[in-house]
Amino acid sequence: MLTRIAGGRVIDPANGVNDVIRDLYVRDGVIVDAPRDGERIDRTIDAAGMIVMAGAIDLHTHIGGGKVNIARALLPEFDRLDPMPAHGVCEPCTGGAAPSTLATGYRYAAMGYTACFEPAMLPVNARQAHMEMGDTPIVDKGAYALLGNDDFFLQLLASGAEQREIDDYVAWTLHATQAAGIKVVNAGGISAFKFNARSLDVDGEHPHYRVTPRQVLGALTRAIDGLGVPHPLHVHGSNLGVPGNADSTLATIDAAEGRRIHLTHLQFHSYGTEGDRKFSSAAQRIAEKVNASPNVSVDVGQILFGQTVTCSGDSMMQHRNARHARPAKWVVMDIECDAGCGVVPFRYRDRDFVNALQWAIGLELFLLVRDPWRVFLTTDHPNGGPFWSYPHLIKLLMDRSFRNEVLSRLHPEAATSSTLASLEREYSLYEIAIMTRAAPARILGLADRGHLGPGAAADIVVYEPHSDPEVQFTAPRYVFKDGTVVAERGEIKAVTAGSIHVVKPEFDRGIERKLDDWFRRHHTQSLASFKISDEEVCVCGRAPKLVTHACTHRG
Amino acid sequence: MPPSFATCPFCGLLCDDLVVTPGPAGLLAAGGACERARVEFSALGAASPSPRVRGRAAGLDEALDEAARLLGAARRPAIGGLDVDVGAMRAILPLAQRLGAVIDHSGSFAKYRNLHVVQESGLITTTFAEVRNRADVVVLVGDGWTKRFPRFVERMLVPAPVFAGDGGRRFVLLNPADRSALPADAECLELAVPMAELPVLAGTLAALAAGRPVSLDRAVTALGGSASDGLAERLARCVDWLREARYGVLVWSAADLEFPHAELAVQALARMLRVLNEKTRFAGLPLAGVDGDLTANAVQTWRAGLPLPASYANGTVDFDPHRHALPGRLARGECDLLLWVSNLGTKPVPVVDGVPTIVLGRADRTFDAAPDVYLPVATPGVDAPGHLLRGDKVITLFLKPVRSGSLPTAAAMIEALAARLEPATC
Ligand SMILES: [Zn+2]
Repeated sequence: MLTRIAGGRVIDPANGVNDVIRDLYVRDGVIVDAPRDGERIDRTIDAAGMIVMAGAIDLHTHIGGGKVNIARALLPEFDRLDPMPAHGVCEPCTGGAAPSTLATGYRYAAMGYTACFEPAMLPVNARQAHMEMGDTPIVDKGAYALLGNDDFFLQLLASGAEQREIDDYVAWTLHATQAAGIKVVNAGGISAFKFNARSLDVDGEHPHYRVTPRQVLGALTRAIDGLGVPHPLHVHGSNLGVPGNADSTLATIDAAEGRRIHLTHLQFHSYGTEGDRKFSSAAQRIAEKVNASPNVSVDVGQILFGQTVTCSGDSMMQHRNARHARPAKWVVMDIECDAGCGVVPFRYRDRDFVNALQWAIGLELFLLVRDPWRVFLTTDHPNGGPFWSYPHLIKLLMDRSFRNEVLSRLHPEAATSSTLASLEREYSLYEIAIMTRAAPARILGLADRGHLGPGAAADIVVYEPHSDPEVQFTAPRYVFKDGTVVAERGEIKAVTAGSIHVVKPEFDRGIERKLDDWFRRHHTQSLASFKISDEEVCVCGRAPKLVTHACTHRG
Repeated sequence: MPPSFATCPFCGLLCDDLVVTPGPAGLLAAGGACERARVEFSALGAASPSPRVRGRAAGLDEALDEAARLLGAARRPAIGGLDVDVGAMRAILPLAQRLGAVIDHSGSFAKYRNLHVVQESGLITTTFAEVRNRADVVVLVGDGWTKRFPRFVERMLVPAPVFAGDGGRRFVLLNPADRSALPADAECLELAVPMAELPVLAGTLAALAAGRPVSLDRAVTALGGSASDGLAERLARCVDWLREARYGVLVWSAADLEFPHAELAVQALARMLRVLNEKTRFAGLPLAGVDGDLTANAVQTWRAGLPLPASYANGTVDFDPHRHALPGRLARGECDLLLWVSNLGTKPVPVVDGVPTIVLGRADRTFDAAPDVYLPVATPGVDAPGHLLRGDKVITLFLKPVRSGSLPTAAAMIEALAARLEPATC
């Protein structure tokens, strides 16, 4: 069947197209060239006057895995406040602070998002993460496997293993867990917490292995480059949330020594210690460094006011921050010589100085980092706020007077302690399309997503233009997923199953001998039990297909 | 060729080092298999059931038709059992919402002792490999760790804790009768305290660990001890051990805590863990995963956002541990049909007068009172592939079938039933 999306204003930055009136053609779920004369067009969607973009891609959203499910079980009171009764093709479920997988898929798709990447998949928990993603309908999924706090890696590093061996282990993990990238959370710190350390600076020594986070970051960024994994090492830095942690963040960038590195939820890592309250914005310093470092990309992790729950692998910092839990309950776990997690509910209040300044710091970062190809729109869902507040966040970026109007209602010192009020930049639609489509696809190595050229998957969003970007981005006129209309005006019309995106770099399987021995001596499952096959992950992930993206060796 | 190992689905440990082969009297489980695994595999190996309608052997279509007829006629159906794998749960939940059913796991009352505490105050927990490699002080509450998890000691507590330094591993036993389950040379401190006094014990230990003034004499009396039996000294020593631990682990199993308001005991244990973690590391290990309790809850929680027991009445989903608990619902006459799905265990199916019952159950199960329809289904890890969450909540293992058979999976039977129902009206 051939579908024409006719006469829309196409914004497709990956192909350099900025607001050009064009027809798009879709056949068998893929965007195709214009048909030859006389070829039959089965269906025409009139998009005249509307804005057409590729489906949006969220490269950092906690949608599946043990800690998200703990958050769901922890906070039934907020689910009850956000019921989603059965409606049309949608099964009943709940949203809330940690939404159900069904709600996640429905709401992302209704908003024009067609791919989501779970950033903190614990290797030992990978099956469950794939299952939860599998029960997240419509959108495509991928995940970053967590390394850098697992005892196998740390003992390898401590014993002075060759980089080749570390590369092999990283590649093996990507294969065994069916991942699309590698993330490190508080490098070495989660493990150090198990040895009763309560903080670990970038050059601090791990109490047992005597290696530093800088060494962990060095080895892992080298491995990612050496293996040619498209997505840079995804880094949740040291000292999350601690005033003065901007120094750690700058040191983390230096630790990459020019190799590619992605700093996630940068807002939580851009704090200074100036002022009477010893808490200040370091957004300018951080943004300058990012602007000057072409190897660095970032996502912001904007906070928005209201109830959230923070789900993190960073057990060390979550335990430290647990006293701020609202409501006052929290879960911290040490996990299987692999990693950890901490789930701490949180209420961001606009009248609170710290929260208001966090809000301002996030927006400063968005506006001060100049290259929209290197800064991504995230709230670190659900940690800084739910993903369904993205349209509101887009409005904050596109509309300076709205932004300053909100700022004027917050704790007054948020304005005086940050440069936000003076920042004139307003994002254009083209820049929004870059940061939510073209750039995430590029930085994840997704050749067939995030653009509208022939050969791309037909993940297409058609928006009715509106003077209020929040209205425009909340409920697009049409959302196509692999060519099927899955949503219209915010209402789900079809529930489809998304694909799983993975990378599988080449490596020397000899590493399995060492791993097998390690599993026998330390683990509580066998190496064979740990590994997830292609066939199995499609069952867990209910995926019609596993899409393997190319790794290009960068030497 | 190396032997192909099987993963045992019959307790929360999910031991993956079994060798299962066909024998003269059913399946022979060897390798690491415990007594329970041997019995279960053997029982399943011998069974060759057929569907039954009111106790009479029936063809599959006839049984499905009758089950679908009963389901279609029900106005307030309930779905229970749920000792099943992920695949079965994934099939059951859409059916539950379509039927507007109340849904509950057979062990959720016990599980709620932990869940209640998580929802009130939270928990600090750990997993098996951390216990194995790190734990230098292990406090064992009750007897579930040996009775309900047969290889827990062998697999997690006997191997030397490599990260614990030179001191090795010490044990605090709250149920001294189980001393023999631990290695003979293990260093043990026995605190014989009645289970029902667990909240007092945990509260006393937490207060002592926090350095708050506590009257040991009063505590000893409250714990049923006397001035002469040495309990005060042992309590003091226990607190020293807890505080000296580099990485302590507190093991309990909610199903053991069979006394009124047992959640208060878990609450006190959780508080004690929070106190201890201000100075050292100490984590809880709420052992679970028997009869698929963690699996059923996890799938329900991720798909709906709310745990079990739940109601899908009126096109919504609601969680209420009291109102929706199945035993109460049945006792109050609030259900007019029971669909019992259970492909792992053989717990008895509740029999309620006038409530038609459909059982999707293990091949070897027997009944005191024949249900209206019995559909034998494959057991994951025996006849069919499947997935289960392990007892420490983090690991999910793949269960590879040990034989090829003709038994349908529970998921396939649920889907066949759903296909026979009238089209959903929305
Ligand atoms: Zn995150």
